[in-house]
Amino acid sequence: MTVTVHFYSYLKDLAACAQTIEALPAGATVGELHCQLMARFPKLNAMRKSTLIAVGVEYQGLDYVLKEGDEVSFFPPVQGG
Amino acid sequence: MKRQLTVTKESIDEAALLSRRAISVGMGAVVYFLGVVRATEENETITALDYEAFQQMVERQFELIFRQIEERWPIESVRLVHRVGVVKVNEPSLWVEVVAPHRGEAFAACQFLIDEMKRVVPIWKRTVR
Repeated sequence: MTVTVHFYSYLKDLAACAQTIEALPAGATVGELHCQLMARFPKLNAMRKSTLIAVGVEYQGLDYVLKEGDEVSFFPPVQGG
Repeated sequence: MKRQLTVTKESIDEAALLSRRAISVGMGAVVYFLGVVRATEENETITALDYEAFQQMVERQFELIFRQIEERWPIESVRLVHRVGVVKVNEPSLWVEVVAPHRGEAFAACQFLIDEMKRVVPIWKRTVR
């Protein structure tokens, strides 16, 4: 399956792109996607523990099971206000 | 509870917002808060902050916060404006208004709204030197 990944704020700088398409085995989790992304974009490792992840517009944990066509966003801690 | 969320690149026009204030006769408290860009960020002088938002998720997360407010306090209305893009020092980046029957719930709901926004709403800022 494939999912679309979006990076925001300085994760976009670390990945040097705002968006990428990732191929994953069926049943892959958010955590597995994160590991795959850190292998592809090693600079993301620096933010590993503080990275927040959303599928669509909802926060999800590392054990969330992805499905074909999901839009997955990775971003640093939020800073509104 | 009425709610109005605006995420905008335009300057926050306080006079226009105040002119559109609507309060029913049972309401006794209006709390509003203005967040302004400071000239220093982590001990460094800056000229502005550049805000970025994940718009669709911003709307969803604010809606979840508004629902929590609705469940906890008898609030009549909430209006919130957040800037995106470059906001210069001394300019407002955030405007919040809460209308309630009494000051206690108005202050509490306003504080909760801002605290939760800073915890879950996907908006980020970069310093401009």
